[in-house]
Amino acid sequence: MSEKIMINGEGITRSFPVPGGEFQALKGINLKIGEGVFAILKGRSGSGKTTLMNILSTLDDPTEGEVYLDDERVRDLSQRARENLRRRKMGFVFQSVSLIPSLNAYQNVEFALRMAGGRINKQSAYRVEECLKKVGLGNRMTHMPSEMSGGEQQRVAIARAFVHRPSIIFADEPTAELDSAMAARVTETFKRMSREENITVLMTTHDVGLMGAADEIIELESGERIS
Amino acid sequence: MLGIMLQKMWHKKWLNLSLLLGCVLLIATVVSFPLYQKAAYDRMIQDEFRNYIAKEGKNPALLHMRNISSKEKNGATTVKLEDFQKTICEQLGVSLRRNLQFYTLTAATAKSDLNRADGQNIRVTMGFYTDLPEHVRISGGEMYGNTPSSDGVIDVVVPQETLVSSGLLVGETLTFDTLKDSEGKPIKIRVSGVFVPDSEDPYYWQLNSQDMYDLCLMDEQIFRDHFTGEKAGKYTLTCHFYTLFNYEDITEEQIPHIQEQTRYFLEKSKFRSVLDEPSYYSLLEEYQRKVNRISATLIILQVPVLIMLSAFLFMISGQMYEMEKNEISVIKSRGSSGGQIFRLYLYQGIVLTVCGALIAYPLATVFSKALGSVRNFLDFDTARVLHVSYTKQSYIYGGIAMLVTLMSITIPAIRHSKVSIVHLKQSRNLRKKAWWQKIYLDLVLIGVSLYGYYSFHKNQSALSGAVLAGESLDPLLYLSSSVFIVGCGLLFIRLQPLLVKVIYAIGRRFWHPASYIAFMESIKQSGKQQLIILFLILTVSNGIYHSTVARTILENAIDNTTYNDGCDLIMAEKWDEVVDSNGSKTGAFVEPDYKKYASMPFADAYTRVYYDPYAYVTEDKNNSQVVTLMGIHTREFGQMTYVDKYLIGQHYYEYLNTLADNAKGALVSDNFRTKMGYKVGDTLYLNNYRKSALSCEIVGFIPYFPRYAPEKTDLNPDGTSFTEDQYLVVTHYDLTRQAFGTLPYEIWVDLKEGTSTTEIYNWMEENNYRVKKYVNRGDDLEETMEDPLLQGTNGVLTMGFVVTMVLCGVGYLIYWIMSIKDRELIFGVLRASGFHKGEILHMLLLEQIFAGVLAVGAGIGIGTLSARMFVPIIQTAFASATQVLPLRLITDSDDLMRLYGFTGGVMLLSLAVLVTLLFRMNVTKALKLGEE
Repeated sequence: MSEKIMINGEGITRSFPVPGGEFQALKGINLKIGEGVFAILKGRSGSGKTTLMNILSTLDDPTEGEVYLDDERVRDLSQRARENLRRRKMGFVFQSVSLIPSLNAYQNVEFALRMAGGRINKQSAYRVEECLKKVGLGNRMTHMPSEMSGGEQQRVAIARAFVHRPSIIFADEPTAELDSAMAARVTETFKRMSREENITVLMTTHDVGLMGAADEIIELESGERIS
Repeated sequence: MLGIMLQKMWHKKWLNLSLLLGCVLLIATVVSFPLYQKAAYDRMIQDEFRNYIAKEGKNPALLHMRNISSKEKNGATTVKLEDFQKTICEQLGVSLRRNLQFYTLTAATAKSDLNRADGQNIRVTMGFYTDLPEHVRISGGEMYGNTPSSDGVIDVVVPQETLVSSGLLVGETLTFDTLKDSEGKPIKIRVSGVFVPDSEDPYYWQLNSQDMYDLCLMDEQIFRDHFTGEKAGKYTLTCHFYTLFNYEDITEEQIPHIQEQTRYFLEKSKFRSVLDEPSYYSLLEEYQRKVNRISATLIILQVPVLIMLSAFLFMISGQMYEMEKNEISVIKSRGSSGGQIFRLYLYQGIVLTVCGALIAYPLATVFSKALGSVRNFLDFDTARVLHVSYTKQSYIYGGIAMLVTLMSITIPAIRHSKVSIVHLKQSRNLRKKAWWQKIYLDLVLIGVSLYGYYSFHKNQSALSGAVLAGESLDPLLYLSSSVFIVGCGLLFIRLQPLLVKVIYAIGRRFWHPASYIAFMESIKQSGKQQLIILFLILTVSNGIYHSTVARTILENAIDNTTYNDGCDLIMAEKWDEVVDSNGSKTGAFVEPDYKKYASMPFADAYTRVYYDPYAYVTEDKNNSQVVTLMGIHTREFGQMTYVDKYLIGQHYYEYLNTLADNAKGALVSDNFRTKMGYKVGDTLYLNNYRKSALSCEIVGFIPYFPRYAPEKTDLNPDGTSFTEDQYLVVTHYDLTRQAFGTLPYEIWVDLKEGTSTTEIYNWMEENNYRVKKYVNRGDDLEETMEDPLLQGTNGVLTMGFVVTMVLCGVGYLIYWIMSIKDRELIFGVLRASGFHKGEILHMLLLEQIFAGVLAVGAGIGIGTLSARMFVPIIQTAFASATQVLPLRLITDSDDLMRLYGFTGGVMLLSLAVLVTLLFRMNVTKALKLGEE
């Protein structure tokens, strides 16, 4: 593992206006996550995990503090630049079904390549198949999302997040809708791919059983980092 | 339950509002139909009566009985007839305008008390005419009194005609030796005055000039005292009974009764022998024939609109059930019965239908007024107001419409109420072909309509025969075109995904990610889009088809009238024939003053035209052929007439110039050349009815010429129609004059812009013009455009078009809003993964192009195709008898611009809505949506 810092958060504070004042969702969070690290963001629901994920993944801006991704200050980037950053250098896995229903497993994965600006040719086809095989779905490539189970869909989503070789993958509660055996398998897949491809992964979860897989654990409580 | 329902409705308020809109439009359209029909027919009856009056100068709302009773005891028949006359209007169910009686004694010879040059015997007819004093002006002497004078002499007034023909003088007394009163004394009358009919009521005066030349009228009561009742036994009385009723009050629903009752009077009643067949009787029969034809046509035209409306309701309610699928299946799985769920939707349907009806009824009057104000396709004339009132029929129609509405909304619920969550999850995995695709409904429909098309095409003569005979056009014909459009629309839906696939395949590797997604969505989601695409296709193609139908019918009718009439105004005067010393006719005529035409203030130009439709060309002694012979002044004639180049191949003036170059030249109709094998330079020998001969040299052939119909279509006894060629020879007026002498000619006039009929009438009156012929093109064009069938057709087509347009717009918007709401999560995912807003827009735009723009394009193609195929056949319904010119398919570019403008507008609007929705969409919130 190199010493390169991919995600660097300094004093991240995020407050939302509420009737009669302000609600502080995050209170001065500092974090550093290195290249190829599989990190878990842990915390009960309402602890600020998703807010932090949104800020780190450039979907939202902190009220105070700075985020550096691969040494680039996010605040300096235009919306357009952030969008380009997201599509080229990041991968996403969401809690709910996030596959495009009109595309089959293969096409869903290939779509991430298309978005990242990759050319569609024999090499790209090889890469898509490789990723699907890595998540164990080599034999289900032509299936539509509606023909797959939740766990299978989520694994397609993981293949999609990895296919264009991003620098960072954000996974927000990817196992929340799965049973514990499936959750463990999905997490295992994540960890293995992170290692094999040397990609930083930040995954949120509240499932204590999955913590063992993490290289690093960041725990939030009421908007503050407690470990 | 009510609470749940209302909450549910509020939650889906936009869908429910659209459903309500559909209900309102469906019910209002259906109800507006009987309203419009009644109002239009009422107006038509009035028009029929008014036109009759304008043409004949007589009021057709009149019954006339005449009875001659010879020395009848107590005048029993007369009394019966008088009693019957009082009840006529009541029996017909119409309001009485005036009952008139005109009784006379047989003309009798009387002795004058004056010494007269022509002897003392004068033959006069005594009588009375109801209410005479109030309706005449006394031009000399005074009106008779209403009491007999003390000397027993009866005062009478005489019309001017009697005064002239009998040479009577005011104050003269006549004594009838042959007519005695009850005491046996001879009856004496005194001419107290001379009258001229002068009534505020133009229909009061029913006597014609023949009745007037020896007439002496006295007070009604005095006449009755002397000659009727018990006294009647001594005299022969001729009694006329005139009953005038108010046609102005007659409405459409009274007509069957009036007809039936009149038929009874004429055929079965005791009075059938004395009653003349009233003019209104045939007028109403003619009206009824027209009505039957119009009703059938209009109903058929409405059908596609109604089907579209039901389809719209079906589509929207389907959309709603689709959205509520989850809720329904969850409720179901928790133990609610299918019946309960169905009832929930039934109540919702009832609420919508009832609310819809409440709005629809007032709206229906607006619709029917709009229908009535349509002058032309998509052209409203607010000055034309129709008087609309609700009838029993409109409520029946409304009831049926409500039922159909309710069924369209609730029937899809039956299927959905059976689905539980388990079924739902299972069915999501199945991608089925639509039922109609499996049975190839599209090809079947196209096949059926093509069969219809070819059989109509083959039997066009039978078809025009039926129309000539007054029947309505075969409904199957209209149906064929509608079926054709639907079939083509379905075929397009079948092919559309293939088309998108082909385009996709062309650049499979290079498509931008947004285009890629749009392609995939369009291919995979085509099932969902089918209804809206079909809707768009039907709207656009029906729009084009109907606008072509409406324009073609109208423009061709106008072109024909313009051509058939020849020029702005044609008139001819009665000429007196010269009589020789023996009193027999010579065949020569006295030409009325031609110079007076120069005083026509409304004429830009005028010319003499010799027009003889019964001239004949003699080939040899045994062979002759009837032709229409026209003698014209080429230069003057050319100034006021025109024939379009597309009809005659070269400029009209070139023909006239060729004729002008040869003083003995003649232009001959093309069909005459075909028949006789003439060529330029041949000599023609013509005769008129007096066998005067004319020879001329053929200088050219022309297929059409002002007022010339190359063919005449008429009916065979078996009801089929046949067509007969008619031939024309045009030569110089001067040549006909040299050959035939001066014979009655026509004056063709080029009118100044804005000339009113009154100006022409005034001029005619000032010049004591004895009209023999009068053709005013302006009036004829007005009549053509006012034709109720044409009007109704334009009205229904326009309203149908507007309604489907609105539906289509709403349906399209709803479809797109739903489609975005459905995919909010996916958009969130795409945005989070770095998709720009512009790319999402790009993707939606492409989807719109695949669905909307392709559908509009298909609609244009299908509409144009069906117009080309079916309009020529449909046109026979309107003009087969008078259609002289070849049919031209007219598509008005303004109509098309409106059509494209509207569809384009709807698409832009839906695009605007999409953009708004898109920009309001919050990525992180959209993502949250998925976390249930």
